[in-house]
Amino acid sequence: MHFLLEGFFQAFQLLLSGDAETYSAVLATVTVSGYSMGCSLLIGIPLGFCLGYFDFRYKKPIRTVTDTLMALPTVFIGLLVYAFLTHRGPLGNMGLLFTLPGIAIGQTILALPIVVGLSATAVEGMDRKLRITILSLGANRRQLFLNSLWEARHAILAGAVAAYGRVMTEVGISMMVGGNIKWHTRTITTAIALETNKGQFGMGVALGLVLLAIAFFVNLSVSFLRRRA
Amino acid sequence: MAPPIFTVHSLKHAYAKETVLEIEHLTVQPASIVGLIGPNGSGKSTLLRLLGLIEKPTQGTIHFNGRPVEPFSDEARFQITLLPQEPFLVRRNVFRNVSFGLKLKGNTKDTAKRVDEALALVGLSGDAFRRRPWYALSGGEAQRVALAARLALNPKVLLMDEPTASVDAGSAQLIKEVSLRVRRELGTTLIIASHDWQWLNEICDEILHLFNGRIFGTGRETIVFGPWQNMGSGKWGKMLSDGQRLIVPVPPHQAAAAVISVLSFDEGDTSVRKEDVGLSGTVSRLSLEKKTGHIFATILAGGLPFTIRLNPEQHGKHTILPGKTLNIRYRLDQVKWI
Repeated sequence: MHFLLEGFFQAFQLLLSGDAETYSAVLATVTVSGYSMGCSLLIGIPLGFCLGYFDFRYKKPIRTVTDTLMALPTVFIGLLVYAFLTHRGPLGNMGLLFTLPGIAIGQTILALPIVVGLSATAVEGMDRKLRITILSLGANRRQLFLNSLWEARHAILAGAVAAYGRVMTEVGISMMVGGNIKWHTRTITTAIALETNKGQFGMGVALGLVLLAIAFFVNLSVSFLRRRA
Repeated sequence: MAPPIFTVHSLKHAYAKETVLEIEHLTVQPASIVGLIGPNGSGKSTLLRLLGLIEKPTQGTIHFNGRPVEPFSDEARFQITLLPQEPFLVRRNVFRNVSFGLKLKGNTKDTAKRVDEALALVGLSGDAFRRRPWYALSGGEAQRVALAARLALNPKVLLMDEPTASVDAGSAQLIKEVSLRVRRELGTTLIIASHDWQWLNEICDEILHLFNGRIFGTGRETIVFGPWQNMGSGKWGKMLSDGQRLIVPVPPHQAAAAVISVLSFDEGDTSVRKEDVGLSGTVSRLSLEKKTGHIFATILAGGLPFTIRLNPEQHGKHTILPGKTLNIRYRLDQVKWI
């Protein structure tokens, strides 16, 4: 236990002194998760809305596939994305391997099914009377979509937070696609893994605390938005 | 006569391949009040949802003001509005609920004034209710706020599904007054579905009786369900709870439902024929047909309600009051099967 306590002490020192290596990993994590969450929300919310709102052929199988993809192992996504982005892969000429956008692609694949699945559940859980009310008051298609989405916003937000949690804490994609390159593609989680291997608990705990702080800040923001709504 | 506001042709609607509504032809005149009556599952709400352009019919067309319309049609948006059976308010205050449609319409001029006017129409004070959140309203108040949200749009057509089902007598009276007022002042056409035949009868120009998705009468008919028994001597019928025999023509099948229209009561009525079928019952309710001054008397015979229409002279002459026993008659050859 002694080394853990030492780690906590060292962690505060690193954070308070503005250690460049620590903050580089934090910045890489925030940047890459920002990209991946932006993409997955932009694509996932409309897809989730359609999946939950409309009845169409093959809806059930699509729903089952989406739910299955919610549990995709990160190392498997890492492997697939690596295979596509490597020089021998179909997207090799794009030069995305060992870059932050490369990691973002993998994390988008990780977050997208979660956003789609939980948005669809949120929309399915909406009161059917809401649709009749909005339509009976003269809404066009766009207004119907936006107003229904607005009414389901809390549940969709909860889905987005769940996806963000998964993206922030994954190691497999960042490690395989990013390569854990210092000052470049090293994220909080890959740095923790590396520092733990090296026996440097201080930095590992420091980065762990930052992860916790980000999670706390995100949840605080969501609670604030909920209270305001 | 003005061209109809609604014309329905060969309308058919099905859920999961099961037909729930089938109307060959229906017209609704502008500024009229039409009642829809019928048991649960008869298709009243479905018809309102189709006329309200909430759903697209499986087959057939709906013309509004002479033009074919369907959900999201620009010709009808904001002109036709539906008040569902269970009012749904968005999780905002009364002001934002009533102004919801105006916002969708992009009509934000004088919103506060229009919201207050709409609330006043339904008997709610703007000062007392404007800022009240949706969860602080009683069932009756929520119903009135939902109605106010529709009235704020000044609709050409107001469709109401069971507007009095979950409100007290005072609110039912208020909804009646509002309906008559918007028809009179704004020329709004109203189509109202209800189980309350008496309430409908007091405001409607016409009542349509729906059963199993079809329109078949005016709401004064009595529907008697099978199974039917062969009573002997070529007669079919069933025993009523008070021991009387209800005679019908040969049914098409055991489970068929008979539609019986009572013609008369035989106390000095010269139109009574020997071959008419008689039943004895007790007057349970009287209601006034406002437009003509006729009286509708509901007579309970063997637990079944039968309705006769009396002109004012007949009513005055025979002093028909609730509790009085009457012999009513219907014609066997006019019994319909559905």
